[in-house]
Amino acid sequence: MVTFTGFFAAMATFLGVWLGHVLVRKVEARAVDLRFPVAVCVAAGFGLEFGALLAAWRPLSAALGILGMTVLWDAVEFYRQEKRVRLGRAPARLDNPRHARILATCPAATHISWLDQDPRGHQLTPDELQVFAARFSGMEG
Amino acid sequence: MNFFGVLVGLATLLMIGLGFFWVIRGERYFGVLWWPYVLGLGLLLVAGSFFVVADWASALLGALGASVIWGSTELKEQAVRTELGWYPFYGQKIHPPLADLIRRWPAPHL
Repeated sequence: MVTFTGFFAAMATFLGVWLGHVLVRKVEARAVDLRFPVAVCVAAGFGLEFGALLAAWRPLSAALGILGMTVLWDAVEFYRQEKRVRLGRAPARLDNPRHARILATCPAATHISWLDQDPRGHQLTPDELQVFAARFSGMEG
Repeated sequence: MNFFGVLVGLATLLMIGLGFFWVIRGERYFGVLWWPYVLGLGLLLVAGSFFVVADWASALLGALGASVIWGSTELKEQAVRTELGWYPFYGQKIHPPLADLIRRWPAPHL
């Protein structure tokens, strides 16, 4: 006897986390106004939860319930991502007016994507940080 | 009305939230090189969910397995965060078996 509910739940979890991680970053970087993607996530999240309530087949109900919750969380994650941009922990895009405002008003904000590097096994020195920043700016330019 | 999916969704959200905690702690004391073992554990949990008869347990085990697989892909970025000084860095990490071999493999990330 094989149960498929767990597999459906696993697929929905991984897809939900992937969407949350990758799409939220990409959309937040490009959206001039966050209210639209947030509203889409809230509507889609509640729609998926409603679908989960109606689905009689448990594997489908589990998948819809998980996807709905992760999409609802994505609505919050847009604002958390914007906070990361303000803190310089996610790159600001110069061609996005919302990010341009953040760059102008938040001293820590930067266009450098600090996480686009491999771990080195030690804490980075100021020199290493400077070299990475210069190389990143060079690649961008 | 079938509340199964909504409740499983809430439990999964909690598991993903806990995932952030163990990724941060795990990377600090064990390091990014454990990623293949973490990935393997996640895959085993998902595989195990096929053999659990109860739908509840199977769903929770599958979701837990997927969140562990996600954690294995998050270790690399967390390692960089600690090296940048965004999180505490611990230099005396416990290395996994076959660490030198794993070092040559690119760590996955989303």
